[in-house]
Amino acid sequence: MLCQNCNKNEANMHMKRIINGRAAEVHLCSDCARSLGYGEAFSGMGFSFADFFGDFLLKNESLASSVRCGFCGKTFEEIATDGKMGCAECYNSFYEKLLPSLTRVHGKTAHIGKRPINAGGGDALNIEELKTRLEKAVLNQDFETAAKLRDEIKALLSKGGEA
Amino acid sequence: MSAKWYLGTGAQNDVVISTSIHIARNITQFPFPATLSLQDKLKVNAIVKDAASSVTDYRFNYYEMKMLSQSEVVSLAERHLVSPEFASSRDGRALLLTEDEAVSIMLNEEDHIRLQVMYAGFALDEAYRTADRIDTSLNTKLDFAFDDKLGFLSQDPASLGTGMKASVVLHLPGLVTTSQITRLITTVSKLGLSLRGSYGEGAAAKGDLFRLSNTITLGISEKAAIENLKSIALQIAAQERVAREEIFKAPVTEDRIYRAYGVLKYARLIDTAEFMELISLVRLGAVKGIINMECSEIEAMMIQMQPATISLSVDRPLDRIERDKLRAQLVRHNLK
Ligand SMILES: [Zn+2]
Ligand SMILES: [Zn+2]
Repeated sequence: MLCQNCNKNEANMHMKRIINGRAAEVHLCSDCARSLGYGEAFSGMGFSFADFFGDFLLKNESLASSVRCGFCGKTFEEIATDGKMGCAECYNSFYEKLLPSLTRVHGKTAHIGKRPINAGGGDALNIEELKTRLEKAVLNQDFETAAKLRDEIKALLSKGGEA
Repeated sequence: MSAKWYLGTGAQNDVVISTSIHIARNITQFPFPATLSLQDKLKVNAIVKDAASSVTDYRFNYYEMKMLSQSEVVSLAERHLVSPEFASSRDGRALLLTEDEAVSIMLNEEDHIRLQVMYAGFALDEAYRTADRIDTSLNTKLDFAFDDKLGFLSQDPASLGTGMKASVVLHLPGLVTTSQITRLITTVSKLGLSLRGSYGEGAAAKGDLFRLSNTITLGISEKAAIENLKSIALQIAAQERVAREEIFKAPVTEDRIYRAYGVLKYARLIDTAEFMELISLVRLGAVKGIINMECSEIEAMMIQMQPATISLSVDRPLDRIERDKLRAQLVRHNLK
């Protein structure tokens, strides 16, 4: 079998990886495997879906449910199979089912830390940056951008800017 | 061309090679990348590209991954600017990259946005400050998927919460030689961190390079996660220094370093694995003051000698022998 990356050398590394949501066998020559960084922590930010859903898959294999996410249409079984949530709404649809895995992996289930501006997380730094850009826009006579920036600043100020 | 991030020198440079911060974000109105149509992926690329153009102080070049050659893509992975997964499938994916390569944004990898800030040496606070600023700046243009309880929503439920992974690359020849790595990997995993080979797995890590990262993102603030990582990294660095002192008591260590330097200086063919093994020893010697080289030169070589990156330095495809020959030639030139 030839290496899937270079299609030149004989593949001598055979690995199971999750690619585009499917567990796929990857066949690479040792050069390509090394150069593609297989075995490196940078990829996938550290967790494989087997670590995450491992218990769920073992305990609930027979559990068949056809509840679909109202936004993207994915079922929880599909998510547990490929390890990928379909969309933000999936977290609402399948919250209860996710909870055991979340607790096991993170130890906790409530977020602490940064919040996005669209969820009331605007901070002083942001407003300053927007103001600087507003000044620039006015200087450049780009009034369309200036109007948008003014709205953004107003929106941030009205949210109170608390973290 | 401006200097790349890895040409800088940072604090704790005897052990800590580089620092990076990754932040995962998704835009509210689109499903996550795995369920996203190609057309919508292109839309996401365009929207983020536009938002990035208004980030002050950072200028991003935009690359559609499909437009790049195989060597170019693999070289991006070798330089840790994109993940291997990102390189494996290029449809609908794009990259925003600053000229100095310190800031990269992968579009439509596991999440719509994977922001990475990479600095030389030990610079967790600085790297986070930059990442945080760019993230916030993008957020003024884009709404990010977020839940009060779960934090930033990601395609990968293992990065819920802050969606932030911090990591440092450590050079640990002392701990490898004294066989302490396996124990360390176990200890670290109990502290919510992971320690893995930066090129290659476990104790067989190429060049004795290891990446230490936080694995927990939910229920811990960015600041706490970074402080935790910082204190463990400093403890490992201290242990590494003790181990180095220990191995330098045996004359064989100095001998191995000079031999490594000799081979690198005179070899006519050298593959990546041998290069990484020998350059690790040379780096150890440079830190000790035995070898007259700057660590930053060595780190730059470690990146430039990777197979695809080396192939990019010439305009034609190279077979393995040609590449090993070119590598040996470049290494000799660097050691002059
Ligand atoms: Zn290959
Ligand atoms: Zn969904």
